Amino acid sequence: MPVAPKVLPELESAVLVLRDVVKTYVMGSEEVHALSGVSVSIGKNEYVAIMGPSGSGKSTLMNIIGCLDVPTSGSYSLGGEMVADKSETELADIRNRLIGFVFQTFNLIPRADVLHNVELPLIYGGVNKAKRIALAKEALDRVGLSDRLTHKPNELSGGQRQRVAIARALVFDPSIILADEPTGNLDSRTGEEIMQMLDDLHANGQTIILVTHEDNIAAHASRAIVLRDGRIESDAQVENPVRAARAEHTVLAH
Amino acid sequence: MRFWLDFQESLRIAMAAIFASKARGALTTLGIIIGIVAVTTTMTAFNGMQSAFREGAAAVGADVIYVSRMPWIIMGDWFTYRNRPNLSMDEAEALRDAFTGRAIVNPTMDTRQDLKYRSEVMEGVTIIGTTEMLPIVTNRLPETGRFIMNFDVSYKKNVAIIGKTVADGMFGSTSPLNKEINIGRQRFRIAGVMEKQGGNTFGGPDFDRQIFVPISTFLKSFGGRRFGDVDIAVKASSIDALDDLEYEVIGEMRKIRKLRPAEEDDFSINKLDSLMGAFNSVVGVVLLIGLLVTGIALFVGGIGVMNIMFVSVTERTREIGIRKAIGARRHSILLQFLLESAIICLFGGLIGVAVAAGITAAINASGLMPASISAGILVSAVVIAMLVGVLAGLVPAWKGARMDPIDALRYE
Repeated sequence: MPVAPKVLPELESAVLVLRDVVKTYVMGSEEVHALSGVSVSIGKNEYVAIMGPSGSGKSTLMNIIGCLDVPTSGSYSLGGEMVADKSETELADIRNRLIGFVFQTFNLIPRADVLHNVELPLIYGGVNKAKRIALAKEALDRVGLSDRLTHKPNELSGGQRQRVAIARALVFDPSIILADEPTGNLDSRTGEEIMQMLDDLHANGQTIILVTHEDNIAAHASRAIVLRDGRIESDAQVENPVRAARAEHTVLAH
Repeated sequence: MRFWLDFQESLRIAMAAIFASKARGALTTLGIIIGIVAVTTTMTAFNGMQSAFREGAAAVGADVIYVSRMPWIIMGDWFTYRNRPNLSMDEAEALRDAFTGRAIVNPTMDTRQDLKYRSEVMEGVTIIGTTEMLPIVTNRLPETGRFIMNFDVSYKKNVAIIGKTVADGMFGSTSPLNKEINIGRQRFRIAGVMEKQGGNTFGGPDFDRQIFVPISTFLKSFGGRRFGDVDIAVKASSIDALDDLEYEVIGEMRKIRKLRPAEEDDFSINKLDSLMGAFNSVVGVVLLIGLLVTGIALFVGGIGVMNIMFVSVTERTREIGIRKAIGARRHSILLQFLLESAIICLFGGLIGVAVAAGITAAINASGLMPASISAGILVSAVVIAMLVGVLAGLVPAWKGARMDPIDALRYE
């Protein structure tokens, strides 16, 4: 049974809620406070950028939101599930069902073809083969790669690989897509194409969390959270988020 | 359902990983192949020895009890047996009378004599005095001619039925039938040649270097003493009846010897079982040592697999991170690597068993020693190989399964 999260009244529609999250690493005899009390709540269909210089706790926060790590103290609930006291297996299942990762370095399995890469979350989620292939093809269709099913990742361009990764992230219909510097390894034109795709997903109702240090990438989001020294420095709506050249890139993507 | 999907995915990854680095896989497999060949060949050699022994010992008869002065296999103090009285012909006859209509009783006596036929001489051949019942008791029949008949015994005829080795050695290609041969100082007419018995491996008695004569003639010619040492064979109606028969024979013998209840038996009951038991306990030790030594080869092969699995896990650290990030549980990763090492070893086992079968055939063809391979050995060798794979893969796979996904994703 999911434990009902303690949410503030105004946050009832929240997808994820962090309260007083502290993460402390012990390095030798020293304690490093990566996060020292972060509270944030993100609602359904929000498009949030998490920003900050290196050492700000940005990566730690992303790892906690992505259920790859658990807070030292404080609470975190995702889709109504309290994450802090979950076992490893339960965390694996939460990552599988509720989170779609998009990484800077794509992180596709090199020996598996495109279709199999996209199928993977469904395999670990126990979806039968016929349904799996249908869902994977549908996701690949959404990113415009339905003609590359049997290609291996090394036969694809960087942009195409990242699109495969996006297809993999959204194939299980996750609560959030967590994109960590998704354009970091791409040229600016291809990067725009990928951002375009994320914008489209958001327009279709997907909750997206973008972790980046680039202002022009963060500008796509409608809300920007800036971290500094393990604390939230600012959390504000973005005025006029970038949605440039949609029509042109949609053509490119297909 | 979920486990089955996990298993399929793991199998797919494992196969892909093995075929992605064929040379490495082949070299790793080599260690297992050598180990399996060594272990399997040891087993087949043991199997061969055992069946050769059993074949040879078949002349003893599985459904026959032998009453003798001494046990065949002496356990404990030999001196307790030394003072036992010989079994006499009278006692054999008394036992035969007691079992008339219930079991076949056949006495035998033996000695060693030199043979002479014209210029051919054969020294120290076993001469067995017996009755016409011997073929029934031991299932041994003459190949040509005839065996001892009832009237040979009654009239103390000087007839001899010779073993195959004797026939070949003394007469070569000419027929020995009706030839006159000297056994010791007596002349005998050869009435038959026994069929080849074989099974004299490992210094056991050579059943083909024997001559059978009527027991009455034997007593007259070689016995000298009226109360020579007789062995009495009692054949049961079936193997199942053997235990009851043994009990009855002991009872009858005690009656014949007039033993008081408190006295111990002063004779021994021997059967094939006790012979096989003794063989197994001796050769079993040899087998155990053999398996221990060859097991080390397999162990070293297993260490090789473990080593390669550590490399494989480290190489794919990042892949493990990716899989964990998108929802692979610990046991999925564990299964993936366990299957990889199990499959490497399975290949090794299959190839090893094939090579061992070849070696076994070669050993048999060379005639150095008997060897035989069985389905049981094949299956257990393959199962052992897989078990080695699972054991060798356990620690590396566990290392992969418990990796922290964040560290694994960051691994370059």
